[in-house]
Amino acid sequence: MGLSRYIFLFVCLLKASALFAEEPFRTFTAVGGQSFTARVLSYEGQTFYLEGKDGKLYPVPYAQLSTNDQIYLRKISQEAKIPIGDPRKLASRENTVDDATITTDSTVSEELIEQPVDGPRLKAPPKKKPKLRPGSFFAYKPVNLGQDPNLAVEMKSGGGAPKPGEPIDFTNHVLPILEDRCFSCHQEPYDKNGRTIQPKAGLALNTYELVMKGNLDATVVTAGDVEDSYLHEVLTLDEDDDMFMPPKGGPLTPEQIDIIKRWIEEGAKPKAGGGGVADASGGISFHDHIFPILEERCLDCHGEPYVKNGRTIHPKAGLALDTYEAVLKGNLDGEIIDRGEHEESTLYVVITLDPDDSELMPPKGDPLTEEEIELIKNWIDEGAKEYPSDIFERPKEEKVAVSLTTPADNKIPLVDLLGKRLSKPSKTQIDVASKTGALVTTLSEKHSMIRAEFSSGPSLIDNKAVGALSGIQNNISHLDLSRTQVNDSVMGNVKKMKHLTWLGLRNTEVSNQGIKQLKDLQFLRYLNLSGTKVSDGAIKDLSQMKDIEEIYLWNSEVTDKGIESLQKALPDAKIVF
Amino acid sequence: MKSDLKKLDELSRREFVASAAKACLGVGLLPMAGSYIHTPAQAFQPGPRPAKARHLIYLYMSAGMSHMDTFAPNTDADKDSYQGPVSPIPTSADGVFLSENLPETAKHMHNAAIIRTMMTSQGAHMQGTYLMHTSYQMRGTISHPTFGSWVAKMSGPINSTIPMNIAINGRIGSSGFLESKYGPLPIGNPNAGLANSKAADYLDQTRFDGRLAMAQKMNASFLGTYDQKQVRAYTDLYNDAVKLMKSEDLKAFDVASEPDAMKDLYGRTAFGQGCLLARRLVENKVRYIEVNRGGWDTHSNNFESVANNCADLDKGLSALLLDLEMRGLLQDTMIVLVSEFGRTPRINGGNGRDHWPYGFSAFLAGGGVKGGTVYGKMDKVGRNPVDGKFIDPASLNATIGYNMGLPLSDVQYSPSGRPFKVAHDGEPLLDVLNT
Repeated sequence: MGLSRYIFLFVCLLKASALFAEEPFRTFTAVGGQSFTARVLSYEGQTFYLEGKDGKLYPVPYAQLSTNDQIYLRKISQEAKIPIGDPRKLASRENTVDDATITTDSTVSEELIEQPVDGPRLKAPPKKKPKLRPGSFFAYKPVNLGQDPNLAVEMKSGGGAPKPGEPIDFTNHVLPILEDRCFSCHQEPYDKNGRTIQPKAGLALNTYELVMKGNLDATVVTAGDVEDSYLHEVLTLDEDDDMFMPPKGGPLTPEQIDIIKRWIEEGAKPKAGGGGVADASGGISFHDHIFPILEERCLDCHGEPYVKNGRTIHPKAGLALDTYEAVLKGNLDGEIIDRGEHEESTLYVVITLDPDDSELMPPKGDPLTEEEIELIKNWIDEGAKEYPSDIFERPKEEKVAVSLTTPADNKIPLVDLLGKRLSKPSKTQIDVASKTGALVTTLSEKHSMIRAEFSSGPSLIDNKAVGALSGIQNNISHLDLSRTQVNDSVMGNVKKMKHLTWLGLRNTEVSNQGIKQLKDLQFLRYLNLSGTKVSDGAIKDLSQMKDIEEIYLWNSEVTDKGIESLQKALPDAKIVF
Repeated sequence: MKSDLKKLDELSRREFVASAAKACLGVGLLPMAGSYIHTPAQAFQPGPRPAKARHLIYLYMSAGMSHMDTFAPNTDADKDSYQGPVSPIPTSADGVFLSENLPETAKHMHNAAIIRTMMTSQGAHMQGTYLMHTSYQMRGTISHPTFGSWVAKMSGPINSTIPMNIAINGRIGSSGFLESKYGPLPIGNPNAGLANSKAADYLDQTRFDGRLAMAQKMNASFLGTYDQKQVRAYTDLYNDAVKLMKSEDLKAFDVASEPDAMKDLYGRTAFGQGCLLARRLVENKVRYIEVNRGGWDTHSNNFESVANNCADLDKGLSALLLDLEMRGLLQDTMIVLVSEFGRTPRINGGNGRDHWPYGFSAFLAGGGVKGGTVYGKMDKVGRNPVDGKFIDPASLNATIGYNMGLPLSDVQYSPSGRPFKVAHDGEPLLDVLNT
């Protein structure tokens, strides 16, 4: 009897493996930190069925697994590598339908049938649209003067379905969907019974401009990037998710979601067909010619940092190509455009390398076409203009070139500039850094710069505690050591934080000796020395910090005379004493 | 204590244990402090907008400050306009005038902005104060959280030992439907520090430890039987209470340790010392500090009362701005001064001014504020804006929230499932901010 049972299971497994390749064993980690080795058999709703090494079956709720596991599970379920449904149920279904005659062991089938089987998940019924009698007054749509009446009728009846291959138009295709399914909550403020009804979440979707504007917290559409477009994300979430949209009346149809997806992919333009390669007769410009190429071939890896599956994805090699400024700026290795000299421009070099060269860009897909390469080459030679009307003058080149050391006339804050070039420290690194009492926080979700401060019980903090920060020293841009026990010897650690922009040493034992070690911190902009032992002896070293913007010397030992000579050396800096 | 016990049937189990701890151990912490202190420090997740200000000092002028005699003097020498005997003076910002009652504050105007077209829908003190603090109108059915409670909830603690929402000189409002740990911790008298945070005099260390050990012994068998997170939390509560009692961060509340010169700079009044305490708390990284100053209900004898109040206000406010600037803290700290409404431009028979919800002033300074700006101008009779639009309390709070990087569209639900936002439906006024 026992043997036949094993044979039966074996048959079932064989059948299952014929349809779905078996997933390998891997280590899963629960939110609580426990880990175990198992492989995925199938899933149903939010529950994944894992089989342990001991052969036991574990139904595990999705939410209880770590982010990495969730990514893995999402991936394999999206790629349909595992079947849907309780594996016991799957087995029994096959059993009853196909192999009913083979099974002779009654205990096995009873056992299988006794397993609790969930019914199919209930879906909310789609909202019923009032059906209009043909010829009804309401079935007519007023046609604006000058509009094609046939088009208007088509829009009304067809729900704005685009023909295959037709580019998506916001007004004709996307807006009708929004109007039908989103306006009831996301409409511009209107009066109802004497009260003003505000759009939910401050998000109105009435017009193209409003859709692109998003709400106060963020935009909801990123042109060309479906992954980064919240509007698309909320439509495709699991229906149980709190943020699933629309919350009432069932999900959008796959066709509708596809229209929105295609519209975003096509660049989220107000009118269909706004893109394409523009006429280059008026000179090649970044805006008209180069950006569309970059957008299609480069931004997958060299775009703005974005959040994917809960992780922030930074541009590869610290190089972003999503704006004109970013392209000119290059990355930490240097600039990638040498205006007027295509052969000196890294951007041109990497797209024209030998096909076998591992450095050839883009690394995936076909190389750029000859026309595209020609366009980039001519664009560089013409001076890498942003707009056709820009005039390229060689002598001005030096001034326009963006460099890290002169961010004064640059709009992007220095911290953002630095942060985009660095990778994010791991959670372990941050945990280690926090161990000695430091509060470590990232400054912005856009990049990886870090503020480290000792807020609780600073007077217990000494030089040693600061040493714990060394694992993340490159990412620290703000360091607050105010009111701690640190003294001059802490500067050995501080000077290694080469991206430091903000340093608070208020009410510490730091003196002139310590200031000497700060001279290599080229990005330092704010230095608080109030209440320290710093005196006139440090003025010479402070005077060397030509890029500093604010120095606080109140309650230090610096005299009025010292302040005067410091202000003379640093006429643009704000010196508070 | 008696009143607490009377309400015992309403207390949750946790609050009961806190009361029991007070009674048995002589740990006289504030009734609500217990629920603050066992929150571990969590790193604040940055939002889509970077925060320009990390701390907020909210100076609340209770009872309706006369805006025309303080932050919005009428500079049009026109006999149709109601100005009274107070004349405007120039400030450190070109073209901006304050009343002569605020000579010291005028020296800091280059760091500050004024909104002169504030408008509220409430003309009574209690309702106006409630609206200003919560962005919502008073309702019988719900208690809305104050703005400070929202700040404490949404921006997370920076200092793990001290509560993040502190109210000096009297507490207005509560955490509403949010967790009570986010509500304002009241400091009645800035000079007295944090009340009931010290062990009783008769309780020396040995006896204190003895009592703690005995309490733990009594708990041990229960803890053994029900070893759960919630049960262990009660033990943590004792530990955290003791941690705060012994913590050096408690010194933040000790204004007495400031040098005399500093106390004199702020003025030896409840408001002045309150501002001084507020600065100490900002140094200890508290997110939200409210300092309350009453005495503005000048229905009669307006000009003398306002001048007297301003002597105190001007000293405290200017000292706060100066001190924060000197310490390099001003760029991280936002200061807001506002009242529930203004007072009538027309002077009444008793030489006073009455309630006036139109075109009163809000004063903003510090981190993220566009210095030297004035938003809006009212007409001759102070009834309608001739420049700019009316700004309601929700929009003022939205402006502050925007500057602090709070998620303005984030919805929190009350226990009955109704949606609420940090600044209701207010729109931030970006004209007064450096964006």
